[in-house]
Amino acid sequence: MTVVMESRDAIGTQDSVVLRTTGLSKSFGKLEAVKNLNLELRRGEVFGFLGPNGAGKSTTVGMILGLITPTAGSIELFGVKQNGNRWAALRRIGAIVEEPAFYPYLSGWDNMHVLAESIGGIPKNKIEEVLERVGLADRAKDQYGHYSMGMKQRLGIASTLLRDPELIILDEPTNGLDPAGTKEIRDLIPRLAHESRAIMLCSHLLHEVELVCQNVAIIKQGTVIANAPIKELLSRGNQMQIRVDNMGEATGILSGLPWVKSVKREGDYLMIDIPPDHGAAVNQALAQKGIFVSELINRTHSLENVFLQLTGGASGD
Amino acid sequence: MTNTNTVAMPKSGTPFSGLGRMIGAEFLKLRKRTMTKVLIIILVAVIALVNFLFMAISKLPPIGSGQGIARIQDYLGLSAAIPFALYLIASFGSVLAIIMAASSMGNEYNWKTIRTALISSESRFKFLTAKLVSLAILILAGMLIGVVAGFIMGLITTGIGGYAYNFSFATGSYFWEQFLQFWRTFFVITPYALLGFLMAIVGRSAMPGISAGIGVLFLESIITMFMVLAGGWIAKVPDYLLSANVNAITALNNLPQGFGKEMGNGGTSQALPSVPHAFITLGIYAMAFLALGYYLFRKRDVTG
Repeated sequence: MTVVMESRDAIGTQDSVVLRTTGLSKSFGKLEAVKNLNLELRRGEVFGFLGPNGAGKSTTVGMILGLITPTAGSIELFGVKQNGNRWAALRRIGAIVEEPAFYPYLSGWDNMHVLAESIGGIPKNKIEEVLERVGLADRAKDQYGHYSMGMKQRLGIASTLLRDPELIILDEPTNGLDPAGTKEIRDLIPRLAHESRAIMLCSHLLHEVELVCQNVAIIKQGTVIANAPIKELLSRGNQMQIRVDNMGEATGILSGLPWVKSVKREGDYLMIDIPPDHGAAVNQALAQKGIFVSELINRTHSLENVFLQLTGGASGD
Repeated sequence: MTNTNTVAMPKSGTPFSGLGRMIGAEFLKLRKRTMTKVLIIILVAVIALVNFLFMAISKLPPIGSGQGIARIQDYLGLSAAIPFALYLIASFGSVLAIIMAASSMGNEYNWKTIRTALISSESRFKFLTAKLVSLAILILAGMLIGVVAGFIMGLITTGIGGYAYNFSFATGSYFWEQFLQFWRTFFVITPYALLGFLMAIVGRSAMPGISAGIGVLFLESIITMFMVLAGGWIAKVPDYLLSANVNAITALNNLPQGFGKEMGNGGTSQALPSVPHAFITLGIYAMAFLALGYYLFRKRDVTG
């Protein structure tokens, strides 16, 4: 472990919340793009920020990065409330906003060089290091305009790593990547988080988010409609599907159990709304009354189901 | 052992700290653009073309009294090469400077690099300042190339035209005057370049900057002509616009008779404003465009 890593851990114990928004709002004329947004992102956490097109995700990211001035509310970065110039905080953040954007006539290396010069204090070997890390070292001298979408994404990720950030904001980082590239990025994200960084991942690839994020916020029409650990979110509406001979009696028994939220008959099955990991308890309760379960299927929700339920079927962004 | 210094919250610098580094980055962006090279090539080509055109005309048989041809021959003299190049730079070079300034800012929006650039810059003030300083350096470099090209063309046309190589004009006062005229030319280009830059910020694209800058450059001369024709107080309005004041300054370049003041006021007989008036008016325009650009960009939301 490097000195930098050690010091990050040391700070992490005192200052584990890297981003906190309180009552964050933004209006463009009459349009309320973001309403009363309260988010919290901790060191080492991969946080999924989801929402349909136009939900307010990019506006939120823009406000965090100082590109957009909030109408109301506050933003705290690394324990410091942001008022006016936020360069001290921005130096510690790597971000791709909406899509990677670089100068098309410059090579990948030159683009990184321009960024490094603007930021300051970045040695040239760091450029080579980050390009190597995203697998672009061989194509570093090629013009950015000739890069494939996947290569542009990689360069975007390289740019976020250039300043050795403690908070990384990635907007659709796997966009345009082939399956192998997608997997590489999916593997890279938790690794970056393990390096004591916090990662905010805006993605419409809900499966990817489900695989790498610990916490998720879903935003719709500028309002956060869900903000919870991903496990908790997935367990909401967790259902168990059982098959028994005596459905009427079984319904009565199960309805009397305190942790059963509802029991519903669907064809030859009973659908029971219960917290996850209660299969054995269901079986035991019925068996004690002489009813034996012939089939028991735990039907957990995917993030996609949850997302579609919460957003009313709007397509993800 | 932990080393908290390595991750201590970096302090924001003084208003100008790190600016040299940012100017370097902006200069790299401008220098590596094909368009920058193309614009300089166009400037050199236009200077060469006009010189060759004049030389070709000077070889035509005399028409009427033949005085026109004789005047053209004067422009081809070596002593007129630099002032003539500066004259061309002040007019045609302004168009190129507008394109360069507007595209330098506007393309940040067109390519959406504005977001990446701003989150990698210490402040918006420094970002704009670095851009403007690097633009100024490049415009000055372009002007210098134009002057050198003009002088080389003077040498070439003198040789081809069969005129004598006479360097008696090359005195200290001559070079001092050209040095002053070089900066005067830069001064008259500046308001147009800043207008293009400002309009690129306003329109969040290169095109509004280019069209507004070039539009003003050309349309103002036509409007000025009509205003002068209208007479009365309306005829005085052009004194407070750009072109009449630009012409008052470019007329200081001591070009042979036929150019300079006689051609300085859009072909009208209206007297040009005084030189101090011209400097003050153009200075006010430049400062106004600059201040407005900084003001608009300071807190503007960067979206889309």
